[in-house]
Amino acid sequence: MEQTEIIEPFQETMEEMYVNMGPQHPSTHGVLRLMLKLDGEVVTEITPYIGYLHRCHEKIGENRIYTQVIPYTDRLDYLASMYNNFGYVLTVERLMGLQVPERAEYMRVILAEMQRIASHLIWMGTFGLDLGNFTIFMYCFREREKILDLFESVSGQRLNYSFYRIGGMPLDLPDSFLTDCKAFLEWFKPRLPEYDAVMTDNIIFQKRVQGIGKLDQKAAIDYAISGPMLRGSGIKWDLRRNDPYSIYDRFEFEVPVGSTGDVWDRYMVRRLEMAESVKIVEQALRDLPPGEIMGKVPKKLKPPAGDIYSRVESPRGELGFYVASDGSEKPYRYKVRSPAFVNLSVLPVIGAGHLVADMVAILGSIDIVLGEVDR
Amino acid sequence: MGRITPDEIIQAIMSQFGEAVKASEIKGVEARMDVDRGKSYEILLALKGMGFDYLNCVSSVDRIASGDLEAVYNLSSLNESAKAMVRVRVPREDPVIRSVVPIWSAANWHEREAFDLMGIRFDGHPDLRRILTSEDWVGHPLRKDYQDERLVPYEPA
Repeated sequence: MEQTEIIEPFQETMEEMYVNMGPQHPSTHGVLRLMLKLDGEVVTEITPYIGYLHRCHEKIGENRIYTQVIPYTDRLDYLASMYNNFGYVLTVERLMGLQVPERAEYMRVILAEMQRIASHLIWMGTFGLDLGNFTIFMYCFREREKILDLFESVSGQRLNYSFYRIGGMPLDLPDSFLTDCKAFLEWFKPRLPEYDAVMTDNIIFQKRVQGIGKLDQKAAIDYAISGPMLRGSGIKWDLRRNDPYSIYDRFEFEVPVGSTGDVWDRYMVRRLEMAESVKIVEQALRDLPPGEIMGKVPKKLKPPAGDIYSRVESPRGELGFYVASDGSEKPYRYKVRSPAFVNLSVLPVIGAGHLVADMVAILGSIDIVLGEVDR
Repeated sequence: MGRITPDEIIQAIMSQFGEAVKASEIKGVEARMDVDRGKSYEILLALKGMGFDYLNCVSSVDRIASGDLEAVYNLSSLNESAKAMVRVRVPREDPVIRSVVPIWSAANWHEREAFDLMGIRFDGHPDLRRILTSEDWVGHPLRKDYQDERLVPYEPA
């Protein structure tokens, strides 16, 4: 960036300035405070302050029996509740060595991938809003609304579903679900080019996001970045493919990657992932077997003493749960490794040296949900 | 993918550090080790040299029955299918572990969180401040004996 020449008398009074961005700021998508050190309009240093939504989620988890933790996991990443449920029940199932019936596995994948689409839609809409594109926001929320209707028909809830159970699923899919879901996918697929027309191909948008917030591969691994952010940097790493859980190894899908790791690449990865999720849901709907939805689970869940770390690929990246059991019916220690928490920690690296206005785009491209950052 | 087995990992660490590894176990593709805190940094550095370039998580556990605090490092790799879990115990009176931020930058916020909520101090951490609670918070909420006078026990009527 070329600095314009400053007239001599003013130079001595030029000082670096600190500016608070947040905790109440539209582009922080919640309550996040960034302390920006500015040199003119250029950000030289960023210090994130988090914890405004901290509610000691992990302590609450230690004081509930294993099943009672599920509703609390909804409130972690409240835009992808299904996925939090998925990650948590999978962890406890692995700890106890429980088997899940085939049909329940398919249901889990269908709901989880629909959730990924919904989550990416919210991200895309609000990202457009951050950058002044209001139309895409309306488009994305229109589609997400239909997904929420589907989820409501399944679970009765629109945001916090608490719909996965340890060992299976609580309710079978309603009769109308298969046709409704297929109809939605058919309706959704032609919408993706619409997003391209209004957002991806928009030259103003492209100029705004290309070449900023670059994250190179070395730093991405060093900071343990995961999800679309890691793939945006050109690393083909998706836990659904590289460390398969549930039945993800049965489906065919692509793992989109970027090349330079800038905001544009992260945008494109998420945009393309939606189409891949559609493919997975279609295959799962096609193969959905009949049968039981709840496995053999003891009345009282008492995992054997020991600990486990298990991870899933949530829409934001690697969602890990560390659960230590002492053989009782409550977790002895329950820790969440939330993807947004880890991904946010790289912001001081990728954001420094950019303009204040670009900070909004860079922060938006990380796709944070403060509910899971602060826990 | 998958050139190194968990068994080889434990063998390599055992031969290099011997007594510092107090216990080891293999669970699936995961090599688990309980290590001495004096050598934890060197062991984790050696693990990174073996290809564990990705620090998934640093957890902290309050093992109050034995008077210890425990830090748990979960490692994996983008090239290997093997994983590693390293546990380090420190006494409650002197909960200090050498920070691994020089090895993985990802440890920065994880260690701050463990310091904030569990009270484990990480020696050599560049910026060991509270992260989730406010700066003036007293105590470490995730310890099992944490007391807050504002908490009123629930008593069923």
